[in-house]
Amino acid sequence: MLKQTIKAALIYILATILIWSIISFISPTKGMLVGEVAYGAFLKALAIIIAVFIIIGLIQVWVGPQTLAKILGKESGWKGLLFSSTVPIFIGGSLFTIFPLLKTLREKRASIACLLAFVTAWAGKAPLLPLEIRFLGWKFAVLRIGLIIPLAIVMGLLGEFILEKWQNK
Amino acid sequence: MDIGIIYLLIAFMLLILSAVKSPEKTKQALKAAGKISLTVFPVLFLIFILMGVTSVFVSKEMIASWLGRSSGGLGIIIGELVGSFALIQPAAVFPYAGILHEKGADYGSLFGFVMTAILIGITTLPLEIKLFGKKFTIVRNILTFILIFIMALIFKFVL
Repeated sequence: MLKQTIKAALIYILATILIWSIISFISPTKGMLVGEVAYGAFLKALAIIIAVFIIIGLIQVWVGPQTLAKILGKESGWKGLLFSSTVPIFIGGSLFTIFPLLKTLREKRASIACLLAFVTAWAGKAPLLPLEIRFLGWKFAVLRIGLIIPLAIVMGLLGEFILEKWQNK
Repeated sequence: MDIGIIYLLIAFMLLILSAVKSPEKTKQALKAAGKISLTVFPVLFLIFILMGVTSVFVSKEMIASWLGRSSGGLGIIIGELVGSFALIQPAAVFPYAGILHEKGADYGSLFGFVMTAILIGITTLPLEIKLFGKKFTIVRNILTFILIFIMALIFKFVL
């Protein structure tokens, strides 16, 4: 697992260096400009990103996806759906980590509506909010997080409805 | 003071609080943070360079006509398609969306891009099918695409 992560990291870093080298080789001035924008973005994001990662680490340890799964497995009906449409907003990770968690939820008998709401609400990405505000402004960030909850509920209910119809065919 | 420093101070305060309560758990949290950094930082480096490339080589007119205010519903769909195919970490989505915004992309298209980049992944399709089956995967991805489109229209009107 760690080896794979390091390998992926090296590939990304190599790709970064390669792209920049090619541009700089063809046109040194353009290479400089690209570097300036990249460095600016790096400075703009660095402190926030480190803070965000520390906070995600703390959430993972103190709350933990497994704890959430346990609670959600117990809640059913409206409570379960409401829970699935709000709480995942605060979890980090990418689809690669969220799908296995979703599978655990399924095994704990969470409904399809809950699963769909869960993954949708997870896109709220509250831990990344500082980063979002910095690059896209607070209006965008606030409206996006505000819309996530209704989006997750509609996704859950409508998705489950469609899937049930399809399965019974 | 830079807002990033304030967030960093908050994070460190939480870290100290956590360390007082349980040094063991805090160690684990730092380990988790380190692992996330190792996964995400290299992706971010690539994205930063791609932001530079976009900024230098893609014209404002092009972004504005594809993703700008006048692009309407089509702009949202373009944003969503790019997001669906982009293989980026959620943490890298926002900085990249930021440069597109500077280049004239409007908030509706950016909402489409950001949301599909997080929620729809061509690379995660095999895993999703394996874990939940074909029907679930098809319904989730297509419905997500449609609902995000509707929400993006709201973004276009409000912002």
